[in-house]
Amino acid sequence: MQTMIEFQHVKKAYGEKTVLKDFSLTVEKGEFVTIVGSSGCGKTTALKLVNGLLAPDGGEILVYGESIRRKDQTQLRRNIGYAIQGSVLFPHMTVEQNISYVPNLLNKKDRKKTKEAVAKWMKIVGLDDDLRERFPSELSGGQQQRVGIARALAASPEILLMDEPFGAVDEITRGQLQTEIRRIHSQTGITVLFVTHDISEAMKLGTRVLVMDKGEIEQYASPEELLRHPATDFVRKLTAQQRHVCRLPDERLEECEYSGVNMEE
Amino acid sequence: MFQEMWNLFLDRNDFFVGLLWEHLGISLLAILIAVLIGGLAGIVISEVQGAARPTLGAVSFLYTIPSISMLGFLIPFSGVGNATAVIALTIYALLPMVRNTYAGMSGVDPAILEAAKGMGSTRLQILFKVRLPLAMPVIMSGIRSMVTMTIALAGIASFIGAGGLGVAIYRGITTNNTAMTMDGSLLIALLALVMDFILGFLEHRMTKRSREAKKMNHRMGAAAALVCLAAAGIGMFHSREGETLHIATKPMTEQYVLGEILELLIEQDTDLEVELTQGVGGGTSNIQPAMESGEFDLYPEYTGTGWNMVLKEDGLYTEELFGELQKAYQEDYHMEWAGMYGFNNTYGLVARREIVEQYGLETYSDLVAAAGDLTFGAEYDFFEREDGYDSLCETYGLEFKDTMDLDIGLKYQALNEGRIDVMVVFTTDGQLSSADAVVLEDDLQFFPSYLCGNVVRSQVLEAHPELSSVLEKLSGTISDSDMARMNDEVETKGREPEAVAEEFLRGLGLLE
Repeated sequence: MQTMIEFQHVKKAYGEKTVLKDFSLTVEKGEFVTIVGSSGCGKTTALKLVNGLLAPDGGEILVYGESIRRKDQTQLRRNIGYAIQGSVLFPHMTVEQNISYVPNLLNKKDRKKTKEAVAKWMKIVGLDDDLRERFPSELSGGQQQRVGIARALAASPEILLMDEPFGAVDEITRGQLQTEIRRIHSQTGITVLFVTHDISEAMKLGTRVLVMDKGEIEQYASPEELLRHPATDFVRKLTAQQRHVCRLPDERLEECEYSGVNMEE
Repeated sequence: MFQEMWNLFLDRNDFFVGLLWEHLGISLLAILIAVLIGGLAGIVISEVQGAARPTLGAVSFLYTIPSISMLGFLIPFSGVGNATAVIALTIYALLPMVRNTYAGMSGVDPAILEAAKGMGSTRLQILFKVRLPLAMPVIMSGIRSMVTMTIALAGIASFIGAGGLGVAIYRGITTNNTAMTMDGSLLIALLALVMDFILGFLEHRMTKRSREAKKMNHRMGAAAALVCLAAAGIGMFHSREGETLHIATKPMTEQYVLGEILELLIEQDTDLEVELTQGVGGGTSNIQPAMESGEFDLYPEYTGTGWNMVLKEDGLYTEELFGELQKAYQEDYHMEWAGMYGFNNTYGLVARREIVEQYGLETYSDLVAAAGDLTFGAEYDFFEREDGYDSLCETYGLEFKDTMDLDIGLKYQALNEGRIDVMVVFTTDGQLSSADAVVLEDDLQFFPSYLCGNVVRSQVLEAHPELSSVLEKLSGTISDSDMARMNDEVETKGREPEAVAEEFLRGLGLLE
């Protein structure tokens, strides 16, 4: 396994308030890491450190095995997909223009290649081709999120950062989008860092789940492991509901391993 | 009234259309510069932290300077004429431009900007691909209100000898031609409305986002830019070079007539082209500096005014001092007096007839007892000048109840309406004959002599000796009553100064 992202003793503070203290984490290639925790626990901060939107106060962050400290931040970001909460599509651009935003930053000349990429990604995220010329205001919430994902993926990055991308859509659409993103992950083998405050979403999507509280890692493990061996009280409490989905008593939890908590693939 | 305005417009449509183009040219140039500078400033202060407050403070400060004082302040730097007008208009247009650009730029959702940054846009890419396009609606509405304001404000540009429709307004006021004032004002309003409509249409087009609409927008934008440039070109660069004699006149009816007389005769008798800037606001105070800088070559002036306002001599001017006046002009300013017309446009005091009867007024000294009940009116430079109001009151021991600043063209109306009781007139005022007023006697000989002649730059006279003989032809040809009558022709009978001038020259047999 190849290491894609590595945090080495990272410290980050906003003025007096320390958000991350001695944060270390390794993400292997092809992992789908969901980061879950209460708001203000530092999960969004950790995400923004990866593409250099925030700079650490201490420690190192390695992407593709290299420290990003001395890297060209703009180039770095172009090779990392980024999708964030709510509708932050560019309202003055069409669906096509939104999706081809990063490809256009990368290769201005090759219009044909860009057009093909747009078509390919619209298909992958499940957008109808006749939506190309639409503006974001003319799309439903779910369609907007799909465009957001296509935009993040359009330049075929190897890493995708997502910050509560499904926070603003209804329950049914969210379920569909969750299924889509899992499918995209398994199709492309992309490494995903996915921030959410919803433990069920984290458990459903992640190949590994990172539980954070007050800037510290509570546990970093597979969803099964989280259920079986919660490392701390915080994790136990957080996963209590998930654990009880199978409605068996605690001492027989191991029998619950494939009871639906761990997805049915 | 409307009939009169319409007829005047039809009669003089060349004049009005010329002014309209010039107005448009001056305004568009100012707007263009303001959009570029103001837009750039607005963008820069929204990108550079901490620059917004001082910049907005500075442009707000400039914006609050009254336009008249702004123009007066600019004259020493950029002279009289279109350039100063464009500078002043640009300064006023900056505030709405900078403020709206800044507001538009700051109003863009920071989450969108972060998304753009997170996707690997450089600072410039964020600016041009995301921030600026999203700020555009706010910027456009700023431009729209700024354009209307600038076109309206350009009406005062004539105050400092610039062109545009303000010329018609100012000339209308000065020569008691209401129809002309109204035509000028109406055309300004119309121009502002049309521009606002065009911009509204543009705004509407810009919100259309389909590809075909965008392509169409690009074409229309290019066409519009060309039209703007052309208009600005036509407006600004009417010939100001070559063998051209630049003549200025003060905003007084008789000066308009004298200006036309000079233009007609000089263009007929010499090879010189005359460029006549009629009715420069502020009169001597603005024309003299422009003469010194060579922007103007010649203007009709009055000896007493030259003595007190230009040479800043304290004493009373009498014509015995003419030799000294001429010498001082030649030595201090390299200008000289030539072609003394013969009439003496001196000051006189008049009172409304009912006041005269009520108080039994005959002389200025009789006013002393009545002054406490009376309001005194005069144009603003009478209150300013050294031989003006204060000096008059001191000599006669007058203390008026109140004073009022009035434009030369409006004071007879004010007197008739009873807003003022006593006022200063000129002995050649056309309206004097028809006014319900009595001229009082200057029993202490307070007012100096104001013989009218031309002040010419010596350099110009040397270069064009033929000019001297033309001016000599006009010497001693106009009496006080001739001038008053010609003024009356224009002010009361509504004739054009040009027509009156031509008739006068024909009467003298000077026109071929």
